[in-house]
Amino acid sequence: MAGYANPEVLVSTEWVAEHGHDPKVRIVESNEDRALYTQGHVAGAVEIDWQVDLQDQVRRDYVDRAGFEKLCRDNGISNDTTVVFYGDKNNWWACYAFWVFKLYGHPDCRIMNGGRKKWQLEGRAWSTDRPDVKPGHYTAPEQDGSVRALRDEVLKHQKGGRPLVDVRSPEEYCGDRLHMPDYPNEGALRGGHIPGAVNIPWPLSVNEDGTFKSAKELEKLYVKETGLKRRSPTIAYCRIGERSSLTWFVLTFLLGFAKVKNYDGSWMEWGNCVGVPVVKGTTPDGSPA
Amino acid sequence: MSTVAHRIDAIVEDFVDLEGREKLELLLEFAARLPALPPHIASQRASGDHRVHECQTPVYLWPELTADGAKLHAEVAAEAPTVMGFVAILAEAVEGRPVDEVLMIRDDLLERMGLAQVLGILRTRGLRAILGHIKRGLLAASTPTLKDAP
Repeated sequence: MAGYANPEVLVSTEWVAEHGHDPKVRIVESNEDRALYTQGHVAGAVEIDWQVDLQDQVRRDYVDRAGFEKLCRDNGISNDTTVVFYGDKNNWWACYAFWVFKLYGHPDCRIMNGGRKKWQLEGRAWSTDRPDVKPGHYTAPEQDGSVRALRDEVLKHQKGGRPLVDVRSPEEYCGDRLHMPDYPNEGALRGGHIPGAVNIPWPLSVNEDGTFKSAKELEKLYVKETGLKRRSPTIAYCRIGERSSLTWFVLTFLLGFAKVKNYDGSWMEWGNCVGVPVVKGTTPDGSPA
Repeated sequence: MSTVAHRIDAIVEDFVDLEGREKLELLLEFAARLPALPPHIASQRASGDHRVHECQTPVYLWPELTADGAKLHAEVAAEAPTVMGFVAILAEAVEGRPVDEVLMIRDDLLERMGLAQVLGILRTRGLRAILGHIKRGLLAASTPTLKDAP
């Protein structure tokens, strides 16, 4: 993990195997597929689900401060707990949950490098026992706007010509893929990308075993080849904000970018907004390649 | 032999009163029963034609109409047990029954089972798309002029 700006935010599978029942540590699994936790999880881990636990079920938003405090207490998390996230899909949802915890200012959040995939590849044991959780003591501040971009801010950012990273697949970026013929629409009325956004698909940040690429490789991808700058305010987005939380994590903690925000409304909001700029094609400004 | 509607009702009844965790456990029991692909189907998988594109994890479905009625062959990646369980439920429900009965399966099946609340709206939408995919496949198989429909 050498060379990362904040190497301490990554912990190894080995470390997690040793700290599953450490009272100062809470291991949290967050998945695309909820049944995976039921099928088997790291011993001592609780499950926090992005749709059911982290999102408000009425408004399209995250749980409010009181809701977040309750979620933490119920899962045995106190303000001084070290919370380690891991999950399926190369830690998408783990990064998403990590991001929501940072939105509420939780100090000590970490990611288990490699997630479920690496744990499985190493032949480590899965447990079906739910841990006995002693309720935590938690008070949260209001949301930290420095990690989250809402629509109006993205629009202003775009108009100011500031850097945006679209982390979706090239087909989604280009506007070719919104939905397949005869298949249900994924939920956006327009396809394409926000003018000015560069396309750096999220999988480029991870290795085959689910771990993050080296600092050198990430530096090459995001800084040398694409020209993003550590000090420039940068906004990342995808379809619903999950893949871009992974990129937000990489830029902020592994590469040390100072001001990165995740636009969680992402394409499911932008592609439905009336009057916002959209371009199609493979180039940031939509001009012919 | 019970109709698709009877089988679906029985499955809904099994799920509806369970609490969230138990619902997922029962879904995993179904997932474990999903049969492996028979060789004549498995050989077609590489073409990718039968992949369900709206699923982010690899899901391959072959809704077939045989002389005995509907038959659903499927392969779902091990990392997607929820999808696997739901596909297994549908495979058991449609087995050997006429297409019109399959088309009558209501789209709110996951809501009736009480799984929609456990899974959230986006996952529910994805699974509902699988039901639609199976219905379209069987409809196409039963209507020669629709054969080329996706």
